Amino acid sequence: MKPVLLIAVNFVREQRWPILTLLLWVLLLAFLGLVTDIHRQREDLLFVFKQDAVYVLAFSVFFGGSAIYNERRSRRILGVLSKALSRQQYLSGLVLGVTIASAVYCFTLGLTGSWTLGAAGFPISHVWFLMVCLVAACMLAGTVALMFSTFLNPFFAAGATAMVLGVPALAGQIFGARWGYVIPVWELGATVLNSSFNSPGRASWVPVLLAGGETVAFWLLSARIFAHVDIAVAVE
Amino acid sequence: MRFALEFDHVTKEYRSMFSRRRLCALDDFSLRVETGEIFGFLGPNGAGKSTAIHLAMGFMRPTSGRGRLLGENFGQASVRRRVGFLAESVALYHRRAEPLVRFYGALNGIERTALRKRAHEVLEIVGLQDHANRNAGKFSRGMLQRVGLAQAMVNDPELLILDEPTSALDPLARVMVRELLLAARNAGKTIFLSSHLLSEVELICDRVAILNRGKLARLDKTANLLQSGQQTEIVVSGISTKNFDGAVARNGFVSFCIPAQSQRAALEKVWNLGGEVVSVNPVRRSLEEIFLEVTAEPKAAAPEGIR
Repeated sequence: MKPVLLIAVNFVREQRWPILTLLLWVLLLAFLGLVTDIHRQREDLLFVFKQDAVYVLAFSVFFGGSAIYNERRSRRILGVLSKALSRQQYLSGLVLGVTIASAVYCFTLGLTGSWTLGAAGFPISHVWFLMVCLVAACMLAGTVALMFSTFLNPFFAAGATAMVLGVPALAGQIFGARWGYVIPVWELGATVLNSSFNSPGRASWVPVLLAGGETVAFWLLSARIFAHVDIAVAVE
Repeated sequence: MRFALEFDHVTKEYRSMFSRRRLCALDDFSLRVETGEIFGFLGPNGAGKSTAIHLAMGFMRPTSGRGRLLGENFGQASVRRRVGFLAESVALYHRRAEPLVRFYGALNGIERTALRKRAHEVLEIVGLQDHANRNAGKFSRGMLQRVGLAQAMVNDPELLILDEPTSALDPLARVMVRELLLAARNAGKTIFLSSHLLSEVELICDRVAILNRGKLARLDKTANLLQSGQQTEIVVSGISTKNFDGAVARNGFVSFCIPAQSQRAALEKVWNLGGEVVSVNPVRRSLEEIFLEVTAEPKAAAPEGIR
């Protein structure tokens, strides 16, 4: 477990600048809370909140899709994998790293959201439920991107991830809501995006649990693929 | 005999994903590195040296054949706990040198207190104790290579696999690394050293293998390689240079080279001429000469025997 934690913390450390940049957007929400009349501008606050939520989802795909590529391109992966660390542990560390990075962001968003949206009349407990949904969605989206990045470059990995996450969403729109649960990233994202002051939304844990289970499945699949990849070959 | 590293008929082909092009980096390659020796692994660029090393470290899989690292099949993560590795063109995370070495040590499962002490030790060994708290991102290439060596040694490995460990080092640092490797060998460690610095290899390696176009072209003890075995240099006094073809006068002595099988006849001739024999020595060649000879061949010759 210790090597997995080390890889995860190291990943977050390496991504500290994108994470800090993202956190600036969350600070924007806090700033708006300070300078606006919360009760009159509450719809705007909710809009910024949702916008921040979409950013972290996109960034988790970016984090997952580029993690291995960056390590291979810099050749740092050789130093890490020359230690007593299996490839599965290495990938676990990256999945955990993506999750921690997203969770840090979501926690900060949750704090500022509780303050601003809570003051505007949005149930605070529901803000935190939305953050749990968001972390689960980020974890799954990042893991799917990571799986594709074991054999594709980040650009194609992001495209493939968008397809895998988007097809169930599209099927959900055409054939019925159940299809949206096949890979529930869209479903979880929609829980955040559809919430409003009049109708904060129903707290369903099913997609959260599904996302957790599917993260494990995609992580195992990526470990299986990555075990057969020659990592010392030039990336391009 | 225990072997630290074994390649058993290993072939590695690189295949392009979209075209049918294939590149054979290693072709039926067999080699055994004995425990407790410093083994020099030479070859021109593209000969397959790094491929062989990456296969041994489990970074890639052989197309065919198999190999063992400290008795375990290639790719076993647990065995790497007993191995130290320094990659060519070392790339490290941008953080302070001591925490960086501790990070790599922790990946090998070294306990925190012992690791702190060991990180300090290895940084001192590579001469970076005064830079332990500086960010490695701001180091020169030579300093980075020394941090790379420190992280390779942090787990006190039984086998050190070093890919060009002295390429960016200044002469002083090279002497330091040379002494370090000799001390490690004397402590019973095995060192597998890939290098283009032939003079270094000549000085410290017990055995040398030369790889060319993915095949093992030459394998022998360094001493055997350096002795041509075909020419003998004889230094005499009291005779004229005219008595032997190619003889030269130097510092009052006459020296000449002859084929080894003519040595007895040449010595008798010297004595018959009333001369005195000062020395008889096999002619030593440099590793560079051998390297150029082996790698200039149109096709690598098969080795006579694999030890």
